[in-house]
Amino acid sequence: MNDLLKFVVVGHTNVGKTSLLRTLLRDSKFGEVSDRPSTTRHVEGATLTVGGEQFATLFDTPGLEDASALLDYLEDLERIERQKHPNQRIDAPARLELFLGSIEARQRFEQEAKVIRQLLASDAGLYVIDAREPALAKYREELEVLSGCGKPLLPVVNFSATGGRLEEWENALARLNLHARAVFDTITPPIDGERHLYESLALLLDSKQRPALEQAVSALEKQNGKRRQSAALLVAELLVDCAAARHSVAPEAEEEAEAKLFVQVREREQKCVEALLDLYAFQADDARLHTLPLSEGRWGDDLFNPETLRALGIRVGSGMAAGALAGAGIDVMAGGLTLGTATAIGALVGGGAQTVRNYGSRLLNKLRGQNELTLSDSVLQVLAVRQGYLLQALAKRTHAATSRIPPPEEADVARSDITDPLQSFFKQARAYPEWSSLNEEHELEGESRDALVGKIASSLMAFSADATQ
Amino acid sequence: MIQEPTRLQRLWLCEAIRQRETHAGPLDDREANRHAQRAAKDLPGRIQARALFLARRDGLVEALDSLLGGARLALLLLFLLAIFGGAGLAFASVGDGREPINVFWALLGLLGLHFVSLLLWLASQLFTPASPTALGRFWLWITRTFSQKLMHKTARDQRAPNLVPALFQLLERRRLVRWLGGSLVHGFWLVTLLACLVMLLGLFSTRRYGFIWETTLLPASSLIRATEWLGFLPALVGFPLPDASTVLASGTVPVITEAARQAWAGWLLGVLVVFGLLPRALLLLVCWLRWQLGQRKLTLADSISDYSLLAERLQPVSASTGIVDPAPAQLYMPHIANASGKATPESRNAAHLSSNVGHLEQQHTQMLVAIELNPERNWPPAELPAAVMDGGIIEDRNQRRQFLDRITLHPPQRLAIAIDSDRSPDRGTLGLITEIAPLVDAAYIWLLPPQVPPDGNQARLKIWRESLDALGMLYNDTPPWHWLETGRE
Ligand SMILES: Nc1nc2c(ncn2[C@@H]2O[C@H](COP(=O)(O)OP(=O)(O)OP(=O)(O)O)[C@@H](O)[C@H]2O)c(=O)[nH]1
Ligand SMILES: [Mg+2]
Repeated sequence: MNDLLKFVVVGHTNVGKTSLLRTLLRDSKFGEVSDRPSTTRHVEGATLTVGGEQFATLFDTPGLEDASALLDYLEDLERIERQKHPNQRIDAPARLELFLGSIEARQRFEQEAKVIRQLLASDAGLYVIDAREPALAKYREELEVLSGCGKPLLPVVNFSATGGRLEEWENALARLNLHARAVFDTITPPIDGERHLYESLALLLDSKQRPALEQAVSALEKQNGKRRQSAALLVAELLVDCAAARHSVAPEAEEEAEAKLFVQVREREQKCVEALLDLYAFQADDARLHTLPLSEGRWGDDLFNPETLRALGIRVGSGMAAGALAGAGIDVMAGGLTLGTATAIGALVGGGAQTVRNYGSRLLNKLRGQNELTLSDSVLQVLAVRQGYLLQALAKRTHAATSRIPPPEEADVARSDITDPLQSFFKQARAYPEWSSLNEEHELEGESRDALVGKIASSLMAFSADATQ
Repeated sequence: MIQEPTRLQRLWLCEAIRQRETHAGPLDDREANRHAQRAAKDLPGRIQARALFLARRDGLVEALDSLLGGARLALLLLFLLAIFGGAGLAFASVGDGREPINVFWALLGLLGLHFVSLLLWLASQLFTPASPTALGRFWLWITRTFSQKLMHKTARDQRAPNLVPALFQLLERRRLVRWLGGSLVHGFWLVTLLACLVMLLGLFSTRRYGFIWETTLLPASSLIRATEWLGFLPALVGFPLPDASTVLASGTVPVITEAARQAWAGWLLGVLVVFGLLPRALLLLVCWLRWQLGQRKLTLADSISDYSLLAERLQPVSASTGIVDPAPAQLYMPHIANASGKATPESRNAAHLSSNVGHLEQQHTQMLVAIELNPERNWPPAELPAAVMDGGIIEDRNQRRQFLDRITLHPPQRLAIAIDSDRSPDRGTLGLITEIAPLVDAAYIWLLPPQVPPDGNQARLKIWRESLDALGMLYNDTPPWHWLETGRE
């Protein structure tokens, strides 16, 4: 526990220190974030576990607000001390020690004292900067106070996505001899921003501490990739569930059936969104679904669709062969007494039963004059785009974000670059009513369904990867 | 009912829960996670504890129970089938003794199907080792049918179907499906052939059979050789081998001498044991051992990468270590040192107005100073009246001190302080204002409208107003020229 790396996040007030912690810790409930100054007034720590290993403790601190007055006070303290002990050399750390013991460290400069105490107890400090601010003298003075602690400091130029004064800061920091720095934005982090941040931090540490950091970085990236993949799989499951949904409906109940199917689809989508938010550890209402624009269902049986027949053939073929063989064994063993009935039964039960029964009842329903209701292409398209957008937004969102994920623009809902590659997959899913959990009789486990879900997921991932680049 | 699931059952349930969560998203698991965090320290332990908790809650354990019950029943059924099948096979192959036994036909009847199925099994091991054999599928089907019947109505809602694929997935991580399936197939055949052997023994002991062989095409010598070859291995174990003359004799009429009958019957039994029972028993042993060994090696570690996201929930990425240094009861805030306590804008205004009237002879100086401006602002402003002195911009400590010295020596009558509302209010700036204000007769804050981001940070302007109100300062966001001139807004 004690050999965990300790990093402390310091900086002026309202520059996003707590937000940075939320982002790095992936915890949207850490501390308190607001656009007012002096929000955080205590020092709070949190351990970061990556790939099952705890690797560092990060500390949030109150903002520095009055470095100029503190420097004045430090000089006063030094002068008084000189008068008392004229021969003693007083360096910066000693001066800070004096300060921490003084009365103002408990009154006027209490917040600053907390920061200094924590920095002294840590391995390095992340000095957060609001890039929209000019490189004012007060920030230089803060850095002067902090550097007295003798700990490595990594300037983190925050708010970089808002088009701040990056160059001005670069020059100002270079003049202060701070050459390692990280450009970041806690709400919309730059690509690989987190990795660069940790890598820059690693440069400041001694070689013993570096491997832990490097390991953590690669574990973090693996985790991110895994999470994106899981998210895409969840959406793919949703799409298969919806595309394969199929209800047989008597002519007089058509309207009712449509309404019922739409309710099912909306609920299923909502469930998917909740699962996604949960996966990314965001709050349950970080994304709200606008009501899915569902107008009409798709009517018509696909009983003689090539895809349906192919599906029937594959499943019945392999299942039947196996079942028949088992049955034939019994027939022969029983000395032919069973006269081949076992073979026939075996063929039926050998895996094709479900499909045959399904297809049979659909056929029967058709003969009875019932119609089949599925979701239209346009509904599936809207679903895919909405969820594709959500995937994208989730991959980019950080835990410092305070606003909801916006819904896709009207115009984007018609985007075909997401849905075009999916069309053939939808067609395939439609041929397997048993693949949809929205249908009463379903069987979700199985290689071919898994394969389809996998294909849809990779297609979605390719899309959201394009978008994040 | 399963009380304490075995190791394999626990892994099985974990896999079933995992598959469900991949299909339908995470289950509602807050309670389960808390339970898991208490139950175990390490990740595999926690995953298992969580899965077990969820499985119990969602009736999966019950489903597993009935599935196992169904499997046992199915096994029993297969066992009976094998016994009857075996007996039937024996009977069908040798008949009731009214007709002499055609030895080669009988052999084909007894061992033919066994050989075909053995070949098929071997082939399936080569080509599709992961998929269950025909018999395996049959067993699964009966199992499912039975377990559906066994299950309580409540637990029936589509839970059991997920268990079987979960088992396959679990076993395939260590390629165990083939060994389990193999055990089933060979066990089935072993029982069948055993039953067949027993039936044959019974028939041979209680009925008199004649033995004969027939051929149209082949010379008798080749059949004699075939008999010898087939009987060679059984003979090593002690089974009788009909000698050449007996074989030759059986080619024309059914042999009736007792010795010949016994030799033929022994030969037939020997072939059945050595080429039927023995290979099946050996294969059963191999499969069963591999299955047992492999099963023992199954761990959650095989699939741990599939659990990486769950890992985050069970071992959260971050955990607060708590507040190290608590917040002060009262945050220090700058305030204007004033004998009469906190001034309100009105009282100060009134005071200044009266002082203006009272000290008309006092030097009339007006000054404008700025604190920490965006570099883009034009400063001093072009419309600065000539009568107003420019106090410059205060940024660093030196400028602060110099400015304070300057106004201490020559206090202006009216001082306007320009503040950039793009800054966030902080104790430093507010403190400076509270240091300056008492030094001059009248002070006024000019809040420069926000510039950054382009549309302006209106929130900050609002916070400035509140902070200045708290200090009791006069402020406005319009240029203070009129105030500087007249002291009135
Ligand atoms: N656009 C943008 N907003 C940010 C960024 N970082 C922080 N914010 C916002 O800035 C405000 C201040 O953030 P906090 O995290 O509370 O800042 P802090 O440094 O902890 O502030 P104190 O605790 O008061 O010292 C909040 O409204 C954040 O949402 C960023 O990188 N980009
Ligand atoms: Mg804070």
